[in-house]
Order: sequence, then C-alpha cells, then structure tokens
Amino acid sequence: MAEVVCAMAMTHSPGLTGWFSRASEEYQTLALRAFDEMRQRLAAAQPDVIVGFSNDHLLNWPINNTPEYTVGIGEEHVGPADWYDEWLALDKYRIPGHPAIARHIVNEGARRRIAFSYLRRMQFDDGFSVPMHYLNPEGRIPLVPVSMNCTVPPIPTPERAYQVGGAIRDLLRAYPGPERIAVIATGGLSHEPGGPRYFWVDEEFDRWFLDLLKRGDHQALLRECTLERMEAAGSGGTAELLAWALVLAFTAGPADVLAYMPAIAWRSGTGMVAWNDFAA
Amino acid sequence: MGNVERCDKTLALNEMIFYVRGDARLRERWKTDLEGLACEFGLSPAEYEALRDQDIRRLNDMGVHQYYLPQILRLFHGASANSHPALEAYKRAFPEETAQAMALQAQLEGRQTRELR
Repeated sequence: MAEVVCAMAMTHSPGLTGWFSRASEEYQTLALRAFDEMRQRLAAAQPDVIVGFSNDHLLNWPINNTPEYTVGIGEEHVGPADWYDEWLALDKYRIPGHPAIARHIVNEGARRRIAFSYLRRMQFDDGFSVPMHYLNPEGRIPLVPVSMNCTVPPIPTPERAYQVGGAIRDLLRAYPGPERIAVIATGGLSHEPGGPRYFWVDEEFDRWFLDLLKRGDHQALLRECTLERMEAAGSGGTAELLAWALVLAFTAGPADVLAYMPAIAWRSGTGMVAWNDFAA
Repeated sequence: MGNVERCDKTLALNEMIFYVRGDARLRERWKTDLEGLACEFGLSPAEYEALRDQDIRRLNDMGVHQYYLPQILRLFHGASANSHPALEAYKRAFPEETAQAMALQAQLEGRQTRELR
C-alpha cells in the first residue's frame, strides 16, 4: 500500500524565478534558505513520487469550461508552456509522470463522486514550474500534477478542498503499490493577480493564516479562514491557498513555518511550510 | 466577494485571450491586425476599443477576467516585459490602490521604492 511520507506547501509566484533579484536581499536569502530546507526534507523522506496540488491559471482550460480538478496523467511532463518560459526565465524542463497513480486518482475519485478531469499533456506555468525548479531541479522525482480551479467563479470553499484532500488521501493509501508519496501544495499567500490590488500583499492576513497552521487545529482553520476572508486578502489569488487546505487533510498537528516574506516585488505574500506528522 | 466576481464568463474577449496566448501565429496577428482578430472572435465594438486602448480599468469593469489583464499587456509589450508596462498601466487604471501598494512596498523593504523595471 502506498504511503504519504512528506507534506509541504509553498508559494509559486512567478517572481521567484522570473525576477527573483528584484526583491530585497534579505527576502532572497530567506527564500533560498527555506527552499534548501524543503529540498532536504524531501530527500530525507525518499519519495518515489510527488503528488502536487496547484491551480490552473486559465492556461489549460478556457473560461467556458473550468473543471474543479484536473490530473496530469502523462508519461512525462514538459514545461514551461510556450510564451511562459520567457516570463518565468526558465528553460524547458522534463519531469517523468506517474500515470498509474494519476489514473488511479481519476478513476477512484469518480467512484467517490469527485469529478477529476484529466490531461495527457498538461501545460505548465508558474504553478508547477516554480516549485519544481526549486524542489526537484533535475526532475528526478516523478510528478503527478493535480490542478484546481480557484479563480473562475464559483470558487470552491476551503471545506470542499479539505474534503477532497481527505478523499485523495484515502484513495492514495488504497493504491496497490509500495510507493512513498510526497504531497506538495503550491500557491498563495495573499495576492490579487491582475486585479486592482495587483501590487499589494496583505501581511496581516498572511501571518494570521500561518499562525493558524502553526496551531495545527484543522477545524479552527476551516472555521475561521473562510473563502470570503481569503478573497478580502486579495481576490482571485489568495484562494490559491485552497491547495494548502487540501494538503492539510494529509497532515496532523502543527506545521513548521520555514519562512515568510511580504514580497510585493515577487507579487505575492511568500511563504513555505512543512508538516511533521500525518493524518492517522 | 472580491474583484474576480466581476468576471463575465461569457465575454468573447475572455475566450479570445485564451486562444491567442497559446498560438504564435495569432500572437503575431495581435500586433499587426488586432481589429481583424477581434472581429473573428466576435468582440463587441466596446470590447475591441478598450483592448486597443489597453485600458485596464475599462476591461476590468466590463468583465475581462483579471488574470488576463496583465497577459493582455504582455501580448502588446512582450512576455518578459512583465513589470514596467504593467505598473504604468495599473497606476493609470487604479491610481489609489497602486499608490498604496507602492508605499507599502517601500515601508516593508525599509527602503525607497525601487523603480520596477
């Protein structure tokens, strides 16, 4: 039976690769140190596969059809998508997929009444490219990318993300293979991509949210951190934290906050966390 | 709810950006024949004019998804020119919000706001 051996979350803002040096040196140092720590934790956990949770920024799906969840089921993933490589200042990369686990999520999800769309050739922007650049730079660990919609109304609620996270946790554990699985959420913290507050971050919200993770009380977090609260802290962007709410369902107890930077220059509140304990 | 709720999911412009962005040939036509392209995608005259004028405020108000606003600027100004044209356009479109954000950045980083290039 497959086993979850690592759970972490991080911001994926394009500035982290595209224009990294525009933030202060202090922020750059904090971010690089946190990425080192995350890489070390990942290496120590010896995962066979990363199941990553991010969001589709209207890249894979046009606005007339935006599924709630999409799984990349290909043998290999290639990114960044054309036109995004220059923006992210990243060369094309290749990461092996894990079609068996990806297809297991789609089909077992359906049996649990959760609709997962899938793509054999998913396109990648900052959502997976930035985390993979820092955490899996040589593409050695296979990736199952799961993207969610958190920006085209209706936006799902944190409770829903947590519920889906619990279902994915259970169906991964039921996977008939010995794989060791790392789950990584990417997105957030506060930002409003393209909106009137495009150049703004909400430090107070971010620190409050990270404190909730440090407390480790899932029900309190879900009760207090509503979708409305996320939207108030940056519309159409802060709700990327739904990926964090989803991964929360794999964990137990407090998260370690590895770094936080209210980095307007990178275009979002920037944070990295890791959990030490997993849901029973 | 926030700004993203303004989005008109049925606006032709919201479909057009998706297809242009992913197609090098259409990206080129964006630069040489925007009006023809707008016509083919069924944009209204108001949508076309706001797009031609790169008027972020008007585009946002009519329901263009907010993700597409900086992408529209990148289609006009180049993919790597993501900051400077965007900052200038947002200063014009949302002067109050952008000024507050710049002041906050200066305060947060404890230094003069850098000129975003």
